[in-house]
Amino acid sequence: MSIEMSRMKFYCDDDRCIDCDGCTVACAEAHELPVGVSRRKVVTLNEGVEGKEFSTSVACMHCTDAPCEQVCPVDCFYIREDGIVLHDKDICIGCGYCLYACPFGAPQFPRDGAFGSKGAMDKCTMCAGGPLETNSIEERELYGLNLISEGKVPVCAAMCSTKALIVGDAQDVANIYRTRIAARGKGVQGAPYGWSTAYGK
Amino acid sequence: MKHILLLCLTVLSGFASAVAGKVPLASHDIVPKNGGDLLVSSQMVENILDYQKYGDLFTYLQAHYFRAIFLGILIGVFIVFLLHYLIVGAKSFSHSGKKVLVYSIFKRVIHWTAALAFVVIIPTGLIMVFGKELGGGTFVLYARELHAIFTVVFIVSIFPMLLFWFVDMLPTWYDIKWVFMAGGYLSKKVTEVPAGKFNAGQKMWFWVATLGGMVMIMTGAAMYFQSFDFGIASSLGLTQIDLLRAAAIVHNIFAFAVLALFITHLYMSLFAIKGSLDSMVSGYKSEDELKYMHSVFYKKLKKEGKI
Repeated sequence: MSIEMSRMKFYCDDDRCIDCDGCTVACAEAHELPVGVSRRKVVTLNEGVEGKEFSTSVACMHCTDAPCEQVCPVDCFYIREDGIVLHDKDICIGCGYCLYACPFGAPQFPRDGAFGSKGAMDKCTMCAGGPLETNSIEERELYGLNLISEGKVPVCAAMCSTKALIVGDAQDVANIYRTRIAARGKGVQGAPYGWSTAYGK
Repeated sequence: MKHILLLCLTVLSGFASAVAGKVPLASHDIVPKNGGDLLVSSQMVENILDYQKYGDLFTYLQAHYFRAIFLGILIGVFIVFLLHYLIVGAKSFSHSGKKVLVYSIFKRVIHWTAALAFVVIIPTGLIMVFGKELGGGTFVLYARELHAIFTVVFIVSIFPMLLFWFVDMLPTWYDIKWVFMAGGYLSKKVTEVPAGKFNAGQKMWFWVATLGGMVMIMTGAAMYFQSFDFGIASSLGLTQIDLLRAAAIVHNIFAFAVLALFITHLYMSLFAIKGSLDSMVSGYKSEDELKYMHSVFYKKLKKEGKI
């Protein structure tokens, strides 16, 4: 445990991810997400290409420079001290700008607004609820479970059978990542994709 | 191209840039430079970047420029017209003389239908742009719904407008002259300005409102419905999300022109020329006003013996 608190981060080890979709199902069930809303998705790239195919689990990466927060016209996003990026659904107008800004396709728009438009945005909260009273019924209904407040691990990472998906203080996650790379004897010593900033060339 | 666009926007934003976002988008290296087996393999990074054609451009413009430019237009255009009103002042024409019917009842209905749409769409659009200052939530959410609902009213008016005003609005050679003398608005003297039934300024507004309006409708609808598949994205070689990003960028840039010209149109009809609002209500313009402000049209009417 580091004394200096850094940011909470997700990391998916694509060397370990077996495309079981356990994280997706755990997330959808725990937060009782409506059909069509996927806070977390497992994507497979280079499908069918021998030796190149791999799967990885994608959700909100809780970016340090969160582009969603920068473009929101109503400023409904807020970043907790531990780096978890959350938003207030009572302020959100469902315009979709955060989705345009997001490099990971994290913001979700349930089709429940008037005239077939999309309602307030929904996204991964890293199981940290929302701005309403912690562990209240209202918070649970709007944002899902608040496990962080109870000191528990977000359901997706807790569920992951191969421990490909890990979550926690960035330094701790980085240590695990470094140990794994050292054991494997391959890989890169650097921050995982999306950890430092969302965009950059 | 991107840099030219950015340059233009930088110039446009001008003095309003002070209110631009404070968070700079740093150019961090996210793609590991050394090769080999990457933590997140290069394929994935390439894949994400492919889906990210306009992602960072949109983020950059929205985070730093769009709001500032809208504010600049609001303040800038207001100041220009306030100064014009105070220094040059309104033009007034004798309304005692003969009156000529210039707008048929049909055209007036089209005009006021479009006017109703604009009066709702433009303020609600601005409410969304400045949603931060207004606190977001229900108020801005309703503004967004009204913005969409009144688009239907706009669609109803835009097609007959384009069709029935088309010929009168075609540009002519004396429009250039009109532009060079700024329509005679810069002097207190009442002189004959070269203009047909519509002057170059009105024509500019017409084309921005109709053709530009169509662009606004299409880009707006894309953003409103988000998920649709008419093969537009694939025919442009874009992903759906990049199509939406491009739509948002185009919608905002066209909105600058629509907003600026809409305020101009309001000022001209309500303040700059006394009694010009009446002509769109009754359909009649005074002979005196036509003679000076629409001299070409006036001479044509005279020749045809209609006056």
